[in-house]
Amino acid sequence: MEGRRKVLVIDDEPDLVEMIRMALERQFDVVTAYNGKEGVDKARSEKPDAIVLDIMMPEKDGFTACRELKEDSGTSSIPVLILTGVGEHFGRTKYAKASGMDIEAEDFISKPVDPNELLRRVAAIIKKD
Amino acid sequence: MWEKFKFLEGLPFRNLGTKLLFSFLLVVLAGGLASTVIGTRMVGDTIMAEAQKKVRHDLDSAWMVYNEKLNRIQDVLHLTAKRDLIIRSLMGGQVEILRREMERVRIDYGFDVLTITDKNGVVLTRARTPYQAGDFQGNDELVRRALKKEIVASTEIIPQEELAKEGPELVRQVYMEFVPTPKAKERPETRETSGMMLKAAVPILDFNNNVLGVMYGGTLLNRNYEIVDKIRDIVFKGERYKGKDKGTATIFQWDLRISTNVKDKSRLRAIGTRIARDVYDQVLENGRAWIDRAFVVNEWYIAAYEPIRNIKGEIIGILYTGTLEEPYTDIRKNVIYSFFGVAFLGLVLVLFLAYFITRSITRPIGELAKATEVIAGGDFSHEVSIQSKDEVGHLAISFNRMIRTLKVTMEELYVVNNKLQDLNRHYLEMVGFITHELNQPMGVLKGFLILLKDEALGPLVNSNQKQAVSTMLRNVNALINMIQKYLQLGRIESGRMEVNKVRMPIFAEALSPILEDEKQQLEARKMEVVIDNEEAFRRAEGEADPVLLRIVFSNLIGNALKYGREGGKIWCGFKDEPEELLFYVKNEGQGIPGDKLTKVFEKFTRLQGELERRRGGTGLGLFNAKEIIDRHGGRIWAESEEGKWANFLFSLPKGGGGE
Repeated sequence: MEGRRKVLVIDDEPDLVEMIRMALERQFDVVTAYNGKEGVDKARSEKPDAIVLDIMMPEKDGFTACRELKEDSGTSSIPVLILTGVGEHFGRTKYAKASGMDIEAEDFISKPVDPNELLRRVAAIIKKD
Repeated sequence: MWEKFKFLEGLPFRNLGTKLLFSFLLVVLAGGLASTVIGTRMVGDTIMAEAQKKVRHDLDSAWMVYNEKLNRIQDVLHLTAKRDLIIRSLMGGQVEILRREMERVRIDYGFDVLTITDKNGVVLTRARTPYQAGDFQGNDELVRRALKKEIVASTEIIPQEELAKEGPELVRQVYMEFVPTPKAKERPETRETSGMMLKAAVPILDFNNNVLGVMYGGTLLNRNYEIVDKIRDIVFKGERYKGKDKGTATIFQWDLRISTNVKDKSRLRAIGTRIARDVYDQVLENGRAWIDRAFVVNEWYIAAYEPIRNIKGEIIGILYTGTLEEPYTDIRKNVIYSFFGVAFLGLVLVLFLAYFITRSITRPIGELAKATEVIAGGDFSHEVSIQSKDEVGHLAISFNRMIRTLKVTMEELYVVNNKLQDLNRHYLEMVGFITHELNQPMGVLKGFLILLKDEALGPLVNSNQKQAVSTMLRNVNALINMIQKYLQLGRIESGRMEVNKVRMPIFAEALSPILEDEKQQLEARKMEVVIDNEEAFRRAEGEADPVLLRIVFSNLIGNALKYGREGGKIWCGFKDEPEELLFYVKNEGQGIPGDKLTKVFEKFTRLQGELERRRGGTGLGLFNAKEIIDRHGGRIWAESEEGKWANFLFSLPKGGGGE
């Protein structure tokens, strides 16, 4: 493996971003963005190996951001892990769409986020490539 | 005695009106029937009593006709015996003159017999061919008395040999063979040869009042209809009813009809027939009058019979008069019909009245019943308008008061309920807001605490630090759990819970993610999850909302984790029933007391009090699960063996159901 992979974390909550950064830095380089717009820009400029994306955000929410990323040929190949709301336990299959979550993401993880689980999941979607 | 009418309650009447009407009808029918029966009986008896009184009177009249005839014979003889010609011819022994004169008298007055004896009772001459003479008649009671200067007349039986002396054709006149009569009394004889005669005898006296002889004579009654027809014409005035003589008269010689105007079937006088046995016994044997209805020859008559006696007072025959019963039975029939007619009219009238009375009683009750139904439907705007002053009226007044009170109470309740709903909504909104706001910081806390505990941020240098971090993490986890349950509750209670059903593999979509999420907790408590019948479970598909069903499994697994025995097993399973899919989550442990098995699904129920609170129980998990399963049209329940295990089961209907 040539050097550490890069993960982009997009969330409007600085404390949570900080926690996720610390969790991921054990294995990856981490760049951060604090809203959807900034996140999409950074994805284009930084070309990360994976993106952790929160749904509930001001300016541009996770749904919109995710769609833009997947529609842009420059970023569409980057795997995305979605952070979902409390108690929603979204699965990782087409049935999530039926529940109103029409997102072409690689994986979902529900809040509150277990840092170890998150690390494992991010590692998993990067390996898929 | 009113218990007797309880049977009315047992009758299958659909409404009160019919029941009342039926009761009225029953009363009227009973009364009408009783009065008709009694009335017709009384009227019938009266009519018959009147008829019998009239027949008794008719018989008396008949006797007058009969006796008048007898007296006439006696008078004619008496006057004739006093005639000079008779006396001188007798004194002079001029038998020829006597005979000629006598025969003239006999023919003039229509006698059958006229005879003169000398003072010893020996016949001098007869006024009828062949004018036989010389026989002794002094043994005859009438002659014997006349010889003693008595003037006598009576009905007498004349034997055949005596008749033969008076005139041979008289023997033929009286000869009569019995016509067989079913009701008659048996007699050895089959015919009658003697005759019955109205007979009188008078002395013939000389100018010194000495007896010269006796003149006797009379008229045979056999086949002589003069008297009976006279009775019919005078007493009954010859009236006829439906072609039949209304009144009839008969003279019996002993029990034999010898003179009558009762007709037999061929419209001939019914002579030769005999009297009925009961009349025979009463009149001939006991000598008493008999007045009653009687079947005479071939019609029913109201009849009167009285014995005819001879001079010695011996019964020798019967005088009968009878009047057709038919006119009286017709009157009685008419009266009965009138009675029934009146009773029927009364019945109709009473039913008519009863209908209106019943309506006036049942209409208000029906109105009340209708109003009650309206109220039962929740509409309090209608009051009943019943003006009557009786119990129903009182009921209506009370009823209206009840409606008003209910209306006011319901309005108050409505207001209070609205306030409560507002309060509840505010409460839920607040809970939602707070929990939502808590959610984010708790997530951050949990993440950092895990990183700390795992020493990802650097080593913890002593056991106190490690314990502090572990304890914080445990408490944060409990808080997060609580927040999750409140968020679910908020969604359920505020009615915002949407159920979006899809057909999906239950295991992969609902159970598997939860087991993955809880992996660490399971390891921490050294608990093992066993999937029963795993292959079939993985294949099982059902219709449910994936997110909501995950909440259900999450809460059930969470419960098993919390209350299961540390180091114990958790079984998850599935059964394919005909109508539904059945799922269960079973754990080893304390279990649930039998009386709490349903209570655990109520809001804020905590079974193990303090212990549970420390373990982070909210008392909401099972309530939420039940709400979700209810919305899916399924059932959820608990089973347990205390001290050993607890099992939570729920079902999902096949082919959707519910929402």
